[in-house]
Amino acid sequence: MSARHPSKFRRLLREHWLPLGTVLLYGWAALTASERALQALLIGLRTFGSVALLIVAVMGLVGLTQVWIGREAVGRLLGHEAGFKALLIAAFAGTLLIGPAYLIFPLLMSIHRQGARWAVIATVLSAYALKLPMIPLEIEFLGWGFSLGRSLLTLLFAIPCGLAVEAVMAIGRPRSE
Amino acid sequence: MYDVTLIYLLLIGLAYLLLWRRSPKKTRQSLHVALASTRKMLPMLSAIFGLIGLFQVFVPPGLIESWLGGASGWRSLLAGGALGALVIGPPPAAFPLAGSLLDAGAWPPAVAAFVVAWISVGIVTLPFEAEIFGARFAIVRNTLAFVTALLIGLLIGSWT
Repeated sequence: MSARHPSKFRRLLREHWLPLGTVLLYGWAALTASERALQALLIGLRTFGSVALLIVAVMGLVGLTQVWIGREAVGRLLGHEAGFKALLIAAFAGTLLIGPAYLIFPLLMSIHRQGARWAVIATVLSAYALKLPMIPLEIEFLGWGFSLGRSLLTLLFAIPCGLAVEAVMAIGRPRSE
Repeated sequence: MYDVTLIYLLLIGLAYLLLWRRSPKKTRQSLHVALASTRKMLPMLSAIFGLIGLFQVFVPPGLIESWLGGASGWRSLLAGGALGALVIGPPPAAFPLAGSLLDAGAWPPAVAAFVVAWISVGIVTLPFEAEIFGARFAIVRNTLAFVTALLIGLLIGSWT
């Protein structure tokens, strides 16, 4: 029984090292600057509150894609067999998505497991940086030239960046698997 | 963003309702998958939100301005990209900060790299990305996004 404890502890550390590390950081912050630690906690909670509904939406979509969309359909639309069309769809979809990128990671991984190629996933994440709904605000602070340039270049680099990620992933695969 | 979120939520709720009529069993299975995914992601996501709070308090905009303002050249470009990659927060916070950096005399390519890296590279969220996609994908994607941010920075800086 006692021999089990170290492995349980190691598993807990391995699975939850980030939450545990964050708690430790908050502990350190509370000891050194308790008011700022509280302020940080409130900002974190506020951020969570602002995207809570989006998390529900994304997870709902994960459930739908995993159960209702077949591997063949995803492969046909977003897999290697779809060719360049898959990358165009990915770039277009990336510009439409909202919220912080990390919220759609589970959804993208679920789509990848269903047959979407790595280039599609990386292209969505690259095009995601376009932030279409934020452009008016960007123009207000940084001007037309900056905003237009950034948007066009982000879109232009999205597919090459996606393909480059996929190429590097492919180099590593035979060695590791 | 809130309105768009509500529309997304409404559409997904509607999809569940329609699919329920087609197959209650499969729809229940979808809900089960959604709940299981949420339960699995929540500790990691909570940590990310916690880190966002810590970052915004302990690395305030003034500190970033003091690091980036005024300097120019390759080191400034790299610093802009690196700071953007490190900082976490919503893009609406990046734009006014970048505007004030430009006003303070920061080198435009460095500011552009800062904004692009802010949006597309995530050092704080890297562990979460690695947990979901695997470490290789997370590292490769973020490295390439960082290089792209520097390239876009240079290109925008040269035309604005």
